[in-house]
This record gives sequence, structure tokens and C-alpha cells, in this order.
Amino acid sequence: MIAKAGGLLALVVFALVLPYHLNLYWIHVTDVAVIYGILALGLALTMGIAGQVNLAQVAFFGTGAYASAALTTHGFAFWVAAVLAVLITAMVSIAVSVPALRVQSHYLGIVTLGLALAFTNIATNASITGQADGLNNLAVPPLAGLDLSDDYIFYYVVLATLGIGLAWATFVVQTRLGRRLRAMRDDSLAAAAVGAETPYLRMTAFVLGGLFGGVAGVLYAGLIRFVSPESFSLSSMFFLLAGVIIGGRFSLLGSVFGAILLVFLREELSNYSIYAQLLYGGLVVLIVVFAPTGLVGVPGRVWKLAGRAAWLAPSRRETAKAGGHLSARPYLAKRAPDETEPRAAVDEPMALQVKGLTKRFRGLTALEDVDISVPTGEIRGIVGPNGSGKTTLFNVISGLYTPSAGKVQVCGTDTTGARSYRLAQRGVARTFQNVRLFGRLSVRDNVLIALDSTTTVWAWRYVLRPLSVIRSDAALRLQANALLSLYGLSDVARSLPGVLSYGTQRRVEIARAMAREPRLLLLDEPAAGLNGHEVHQLAEIVRDVRAAGVTVVLIEHNMGLVMSLCDRVTVLANGRVIADDVPASVASNPEVISAYLGDSGHDDVELAEADT
Amino acid sequence: MQVFFQTLVGGIGFGAIYALVGMGFTIVYRTMGLVNFAHGQIAMIGAFVGVTFFLNSRLPFAVAVILSMTVTAAVGLVIEGVLRPLEAKDFDLMLIGTIGFGIVLEALASKIWGATGRAVPAPMDRPLHIFGIIVRTYDLVIIAVAAAATGLVWALLNRTKAGAAMQAVAMDREASTAVGIRVGRSNAMAFALGSGLAALAGTLAGPLLYVSPSLGSSLGIKGFCAAILGGFGNINGAIIGGLGFGILDGFAAGHFQQYSDLVTFLVFAVAIMIRPTGILGEQTVSRA
Repeated sequence: MIAKAGGLLALVVFALVLPYHLNLYWIHVTDVAVIYGILALGLALTMGIAGQVNLAQVAFFGTGAYASAALTTHGFAFWVAAVLAVLITAMVSIAVSVPALRVQSHYLGIVTLGLALAFTNIATNASITGQADGLNNLAVPPLAGLDLSDDYIFYYVVLATLGIGLAWATFVVQTRLGRRLRAMRDDSLAAAAVGAETPYLRMTAFVLGGLFGGVAGVLYAGLIRFVSPESFSLSSMFFLLAGVIIGGRFSLLGSVFGAILLVFLREELSNYSIYAQLLYGGLVVLIVVFAPTGLVGVPGRVWKLAGRAAWLAPSRRETAKAGGHLSARPYLAKRAPDETEPRAAVDEPMALQVKGLTKRFRGLTALEDVDISVPTGEIRGIVGPNGSGKTTLFNVISGLYTPSAGKVQVCGTDTTGARSYRLAQRGVARTFQNVRLFGRLSVRDNVLIALDSTTTVWAWRYVLRPLSVIRSDAALRLQANALLSLYGLSDVARSLPGVLSYGTQRRVEIARAMAREPRLLLLDEPAAGLNGHEVHQLAEIVRDVRAAGVTVVLIEHNMGLVMSLCDRVTVLANGRVIADDVPASVASNPEVISAYLGDSGHDDVELAEADT
Repeated sequence: MQVFFQTLVGGIGFGAIYALVGMGFTIVYRTMGLVNFAHGQIAMIGAFVGVTFFLNSRLPFAVAVILSMTVTAAVGLVIEGVLRPLEAKDFDLMLIGTIGFGIVLEALASKIWGATGRAVPAPMDRPLHIFGIIVRTYDLVIIAVAAAATGLVWALLNRTKAGAAMQAVAMDREASTAVGIRVGRSNAMAFALGSGLAALAGTLAGPLLYVSPSLGSSLGIKGFCAAILGGFGNINGAIIGGLGFGILDGFAAGHFQQYSDLVTFLVFAVAIMIRPTGILGEQTVSRA
């Protein structure tokens, strides 16, 4: 921590005294580099933090620059034009974000690239942008009597902007909005399941890119006082992308550093521009293969390697030996919902009602005319041979699939076909068959995302009331700590999920689902991969969850657990309900036995387990 | 009406080239789930190599095409080899890696052939008059070659053991390994094939467009759009998408002149939002 603060201080001092050692040429280059740093922040937020492939960042840059240039030449005062230009860029970024609602990954890459080309096309041809010649003799930004045509003074303006931008971006990344963006990057499905409104988050990600692009564009127009289409071409886009990748796209500081580095490199090699291009293209390839987290990640990786080389660091060898998997503390049964907040009185007798539900995938009917009613406060087991439609049922109830026919009601409200984040907001929480935690977020952050019950619109506070964001985040952290200690996870709160044992990961996932304070909890094979002790703990957890007033529906293959834990069991086979009764009667139902032993013989293993 | 058909025929000529580019994208994507953003640059390298053999070495156009396909196939093998550690692991990272290769290839082309580029005369340029429409013979050649190439690719994928292996890898990587298919070699072949097709498209495009280092990004982006429009990962989709995109591009150029790029990409963005899986639907690909 102290080393970090010291490093940052040294960096600030270095940046402040830098101009005294630079000549007129290099100070100009430095100004451009810092502006690229601001631009890179935007790309890092959209792409590195939120995981949205954005190849239109330089078009945002251009929009900001052209807008402020065109407005000042039409008589607007510089700073008025600047504010308008940033707003215009934000609007453009919202427009560009619309395709992200429908497509992702490479599709999004090519769509944004196409829109970037459309931008250069406008810039080269429209009369308001001065066509291929661009706009020149632009206004010098006036600032409290300072002469900003002087590149030395301008340096401090861009530096301050970068500093503020970096601080604000860090603030965004470390609090609610950024956590949600990162969660969406790691697993958008799971993010939606804990109530993150992924479509709006995608738009927000692009708006963040647009804001930084707009600001960088305004400064660029103010510095160069000339804008032309070439500055915002595709090659500039790839240049910026290369900088962010080389620096490290997951790190804001890394992205800024990478972009600044590349600008200097390009300038240093300006007489050999082809070699510069070869160099940064090659660097991108090397980074992608050997250091995917970028240059900022390199020291960490080296440190890790050093730790593995035992003779280098004997003390680290011990931890490596003991290491392997981190485990959580054993779960202590609570029963009686005393510590948790008192819940609203239950006025709805049925927590979940499924009527005539059918789901077809092209030719395959996964669910056919399924009826299930789960009374509030029940623990319901859903069993059935593999491929009988259990997970499909969960996916329909939790909004991942729209049913082909039929209705789903949660606590009396019709939720058929609602999006999964809406369902999460209405009190449905779930876990997944193959644990889906946010891999690059700590256990605490995983829980924090689910605890956050605000909607995306709440994010306006980031611009207008940042202090209230900090206060509410502190409150959220307290809640998270309470929840983590309730589930015996305090010791692993800072760890990434990947280093935890499988059983602990499952428990984190349940804690995350419970952080939503749901009315209905769906558990998809919660005991899969757990040892006997962990299964016992799981049963304790589920009983406590129910004691807190939550209705639980669980899919499970472990018959021992189902028989001892569930109040009632529904059996699915080939997409139909073949039995729905108390555990004892279900176990002796001949149709159920034939479903398990008859047409899918390999499932007899599971039934044998039930006896143990 | 005459203008309409004239535009249509011109659009189909370009469309055949986009279809070839799109097909190369598709083969690589189907087999290894990799979206090759350097594909356009590979086509551009192919165009330069072809032009060099055709104009400097005075070889017949067909021979130049085949030589350039060989060269780019080798380039493809190098790219695949370098990015192999990322296969089936990190999709977005591989995508960025190919962007890196694209930058490198463009710089190499500028270094070797210069940044200005060169114009290529068509190997045959006697125009035909059919029902009052002027058809360039060269357009017909492109369409014929593209059709022949499509047939060959289809036969390779469906009638040979190596092709069957590629399809198997596309469907299930692990299962393919289990039955003894060398996934790495199969992927390398797919990449080489895709790159060869890129060179074919690039060389054929030479006489229509100006061969320069920036030819890659325009060919690549439009070919990619074509593949998505038709249904990504789907060979028939690439062809339909290619022709469709060529026609769209042709009409946009006719009606909106200098704003054709703007119109083309806006239409494309809207089309993708309405139907993200393209006309024929995306072929599902097993990937990480």
C-alpha cells in the first residue's frame, strides 16, 4: 500500500517536472501522448472493464474534435462548444451502443468498425467538417488569462484532465457500476441472474467510452487547432487498441501507460514509420500470446514464476506447498431467522406456479405441458434422469429461455418470458449447474454485485453526486461482510473464486444468490462435486434459507439428500412430470422406478447412491 | 431499368469477391472458432504477390494466382502456429492477436511494395453487350472462378477425409481428439485453406480495385460483413451474403455516391440488429 502510494507520488512529481526537460518539439508530442492516454481510458472502460469490443473509440475521439471545431468556427465560445461537443459524443456513443444490445464479441467488433468507417466517410465528405481538407485555424482555448497556445501551459491542462479522468474512472471501476460492468464481462448470464441490467450496462459502457473520447477530442482540437479525417482513421484505431492491449486492458493505469508509450515510440521512429508499425503490431501478437494481461501484468507474472523457483524464495515455497485450495470455515447452522432482517409477511400462498409449460428447441421438445406448484416456504426437489428437462425448466423459470407455451407465476405475479434481470429484481435467485462465479472478481465483489439492488439509472450519481456513491458503497460493504461471515466465507473474501475448493465455490454461489434476499431460490445440482461433509453442510444451509422464509426449489441427483431434505419431490422424465409427491411415495412409485431403470439404464448408478 | 441491371451486374462481380473473402473467414471460423481479423490483410498480401508475378515476372494470370495462394497459405500457417496456444481458450484475445498480425502484414506490404500501391490491368477487358447492358468479361471470369472455388471447397469438406476431420473438429474438439484426429494439424490446414482463398479473392480484386496496403482493410471488413450477413460459419451463407453485400454496395455507390460507405455500413448495422444470426443462421461452433 505504502509502496503503491509512493510510486504514485513519484509518478505525479515526474509528470509535473517533465516539461522543464523537454524542448518545444517533445512537449508537443507529450501533449498528444497525454490526450491519447485520456482516449485510452475510455477504451479500457468499454473493452477491458465491461468486455464490449469497441473499435469505434477513435470515431468518438473524432466526433469530439470535429464537434468542438465546427461549433467554435460557427461562433460558439470555446468552453461552451467543448461541453456541447462532449454531450454530442455521448449521444453518438449511445447510438453506437445499440448494436451491442443484440450482438457481442466479433460481431460487435465488425459493427463498430463499420460505424467507424461510416464516421470517416462523413468527415471526408460533409461540408460542415471541411471535407478532406478538414477544419483549420481553430480557436485557442481561453483559460483565466493563460496562453494555451503555449504547449508548455497546455501540458498542465491535459495532465490535470488525465489525472481527474483517471481518478474518476478508478472510482467508477471500484464501486457499484464498475463492479457490475466487470461482472458482465466475466459472465453476462450470471450477471443478469443477480439483477444486473445487462442491456443498459452495455450502453453505459459505450457512454463511458464516448465521454472520454469526447473530452480527448476537444483537447486535441484545442491543441492542434486543426482537424482532418486522417487523424481519426482506422489505423489510428488499431494504434490505440495496440496501446491498450500492450499496456494491459484490464488496468486503467496500464492502458494509459500503453497508449502514451506507443505515441512516444511512434514519434521516436517517425523517420521509420513502417518499422514502428511492424514493432507495435508484433508487440500486440507477443503480448496476446505471452502476457495476456499486458505489460502491467508482467511484474506479477515474474513474481509468481520466482515464487515457483523454490531456491529463490524459500518462504514462499512453504505457502505454495500448503496452498492448493483455500477452504472456507465450516458452516454453522443458524435456524430461526433472528439476525437477518424481518421479511414482509407472506400473503401469497404459492411461491411458484408453472402451468402447461412447454419448451421446444426446433425439433426437440424439452418440456411438455409441465405443471408445478410450490407453496411458499417449501423445499421442493426436482429429480429425473439426465436430459429429462430439469435445467431447461430452471432456465425458463429464471428467464434465460422464453417458453413456447404455458405460464410461469412467481409469488402470484405472471413472469412468463420476463428477462432474467427483471426476475432477479422480483425475487428469483438461482445457482448454476457448473458454478458460474465472476472469475476476475474477489469473493466479496461477487457478493457485493448481488447485494446492490439499484438500477442502472442510479448511475447518474457518478456524475452529479459522487460522494453519495462512496457513502452507499461503504454501507454495501458492511452488508457484504455480515453476509460473508454468516456463510463462513470471511477468510476467503479477498480471494478470486478460482483458487477456492469446488465445495467453497458452490457455497459462494449460494451466498451470492442469497444476497439478493430472494423469495424463491433455485439451486441447480447444488451437491454435485461435493464430498459427504460438504453435502451435510449444504443441507444445513438450505434448511436455514427456508427458515428465513425463502422457498427453495432444487434439482439434484443425490437421492439421499433429496429424500432427507425435501418436503416434496417432482419427477421429470422426457420433459413431462411423472410424479409429484412426498419423498417416500415417490421412491416407491413404479413409474419413477421404470423411468430411472427402464429406458435409461445408465442412471441406475444414481439410484444406487440413493440408498447409501 | 437498364441502370438497375447495370448496377446489379457490377454488384454481383464485386459480390463474388466478397463471397470468396467471406468463405475464407468462414472456413477458419467453422473449424477453429477463430475470427481472423487479419484475413483482409492476407488477401492484400495475396494481391501484391499475384501482381508481382503477373506484371514483373510476366507469368500468366492463372499461374500468378496459384503462386500467390501458395504464399498466403504459408503466411496462414505461421499465424495459426503463433496463436495456437490460445486456441479454444480465449476467444477475444485471439481476435486481438489477429488484429496484431493484420497491422504487421500491412506494414510488411508497405515495406516490400511501397505505400503507394499499383494499378493492375485486367487480364481480359473486352466488354460484352447483352440486352443493352455492358458486361465486363473480367466480371464473368471472377464469377466463374468464385463458383469453381466454391465447388472445390465443398468437395474438399464433404468428399475427403481431411475435410471430414475439419468438420468434426468444428463440431466437437474433444471428441475429435478422442477418435484420433490431430486437431492442431486440421486447424492448420483450415487456416491455410482460408488464407489461400483470401489470396484468390485479393488477386482477382486487383484489376477492379487499386492494389495498395490499405486494400486489406476494405476487403477484409466488407468480406467479413458479407459472411455475417449470410450467416457466420455457414459456407452457403458466405456466398449469399457476399453477393447480397456486393449488390448493396453497388446500389449504395450508385445512389449515394461518396456517401456509399456510410449507407452500406448503416444498412449493415441495422440488418445485423434485426437478424443477428444472418440470413441462413449462424452455424454453431464449439469454442471456449
